[in-house]
Amino acid sequence: MPVYERGYRPWEHSGRRARAPWWTIARRGIAEPLKSRRLLFLLAVAWVPAIVKGGILYFTFQMGELSRLIGGKWTDIGPRGFLTYLGWQSPFVLILLAIVGSGLISRDRRENGLALYLARPLNVRDYVLGKGAVIMFYYFAVTLLPVWALCLFGYLVTSGATGMQMLLLIPLQALAYCLVTGAGFTLVLLALSSVGQRTVFVALWWVLLYAGTDGLAQIMSLFSPGLQILNFPGQFLNAGIVFFGGEPLCEVPPVLSLLVVLAYAALGVWVLRRRIKPVEVVA
Amino acid sequence: MEATKTAVKPAAAAIAVRDLTFAYAAAPVLQDVSFGLEKRAVGLLGPNGSGKTTLLRALLGHLPLKRGSVTVMGCDMARDPRGARRRIGWMPERGGILPGMSGVAMVAYLGELGGMPPTDALQRAHEVLNYVGLADERYREADTYSQGMRQRLKLAQALVHDPDWLLLDEPTSGLDPRGRVSMLELMRDLAANKGFGIILSTHLLADVREVCQEILVLRQGRLLSHGRVEAAPPGATAQFLVEGFGDEPAFQAALREAGLEAVRRERLLEITAPADAGARLVLAAASASGFALRRLQPRRETLEDLFYQLVDDADDARKD
Repeated sequence: MPVYERGYRPWEHSGRRARAPWWTIARRGIAEPLKSRRLLFLLAVAWVPAIVKGGILYFTFQMGELSRLIGGKWTDIGPRGFLTYLGWQSPFVLILLAIVGSGLISRDRRENGLALYLARPLNVRDYVLGKGAVIMFYYFAVTLLPVWALCLFGYLVTSGATGMQMLLLIPLQALAYCLVTGAGFTLVLLALSSVGQRTVFVALWWVLLYAGTDGLAQIMSLFSPGLQILNFPGQFLNAGIVFFGGEPLCEVPPVLSLLVVLAYAALGVWVLRRRIKPVEVVA
Repeated sequence: MEATKTAVKPAAAAIAVRDLTFAYAAAPVLQDVSFGLEKRAVGLLGPNGSGKTTLLRALLGHLPLKRGSVTVMGCDMARDPRGARRRIGWMPERGGILPGMSGVAMVAYLGELGGMPPTDALQRAHEVLNYVGLADERYREADTYSQGMRQRLKLAQALVHDPDWLLLDEPTSGLDPRGRVSMLELMRDLAANKGFGIILSTHLLADVREVCQEILVLRQGRLLSHGRVEAAPPGATAQFLVEGFGDEPAFQAALREAGLEAVRRERLLEITAPADAGARLVLAAASASGFALRRLQPRRETLEDLFYQLVDDADDARKD
């Protein structure tokens, strides 16, 4: 059909409000992986520990101290017990973030999509915020949301004020912990994704960083317990003591672990500032 | 076809560029480039590596400029990059397809990022895909498009938010002859009938001749020429090729008397005369000297002549 028969008319603004650019990017980034049945299955499996924890909560509130005598520390329903639960989620965080986060920037870089984004009326901050929100969403989906759901369940099944009091601060503690560690994971993973152009390599680097340093630190700590500081996910979990309280999970002081987490986040910001540019300029 | 100095001053222009200077490391890529453009189709010409793509990137605000300013429809790119970019649609040469999305989803998504409400963006995505001729393929994954379809899709995403200017980087690159004709037809229609300003960066002079009314010629980061591609303006000169028989010295003397220059080029005389009255003066000189003309042929200066002349002159100046 010739061009003149196809017709063209200028855009007539409907008067509706446009979304913020970062939210547009985040929505698309969140929705796309949800098309995959495998990912939905993984998300469902990631909630199995929450069901187990829910059972523990129920029996503890029903049987009181008897439950603790049977299960020991494993059945702790205090703040420390919820940090233990977040530790159980570590493998799901590793796999889920590798799947949804590795290609977020690397694919755009491979297809010259970064320049396409930044030719629109948005800036680098919008772009990173949008991509970061995708990772945060999936991180929260397997950490914060189950904790909140468990607390809600606990409020419903507890019969006394003691139980309510026990669970009262946990949602806020979990929120603070998940915001800090989620931001750390997000910035590190985005930085890795911005360095490579092949999603599979980014995923590999992520797994090496996450699982590799965990294994390496376990071996190294046989010689010096302080070397647990090399454990990437271990430091994120140990920093949780700052928020939930209790004994440190390793020889590293929890405050130092929190500083390590913040250092990882700062490193991620530094890499992103250097890598997220519409044009590669050699300075 | 001739390039004349532009009459548009940067301050009054739809796109105004002043003293644009940019360097990769120590190597200057753009040096003191200044021009002003009215909303029309402008060809950005230059040999490979002359700075065409870099200039487009500078117009998009993608480069940390050492010096200079870019204003698009009154919006300063440094102070209000969002406002300026809202008025620009960019079609990149390389890549430019977001993987894992259908054509319509990609165009709607980029429309939203261009500042459109979601429903407007989706409706408009359908419209522009129909306009560029991808209506039947809009639900297919963009990754599976042929090269011609990819180029059309990239044009559609540049159009979707209804910008004032389209920056097109080698839009006919990799197209077969039919695809190229179709893309040129679209660009011509957009510039001539739909009121878009177009900056067409290409090394294909034929594309510029087909679409553009104005040209910018870059060479090694410097603007060699900025002019209009049109008939020679009053006061300009034109060349005529003349062949005949009779008293040639007398004919040449009559030409000189009329103020015309004549140079012999093998069998032909090349006469430089005012473009508006040249033929009449040559005929009068021939009549006065009794020289019988066999051929009087205006020698048209093509865009290719002009381009190569400008580039060669720049090379000569550099050698000197």
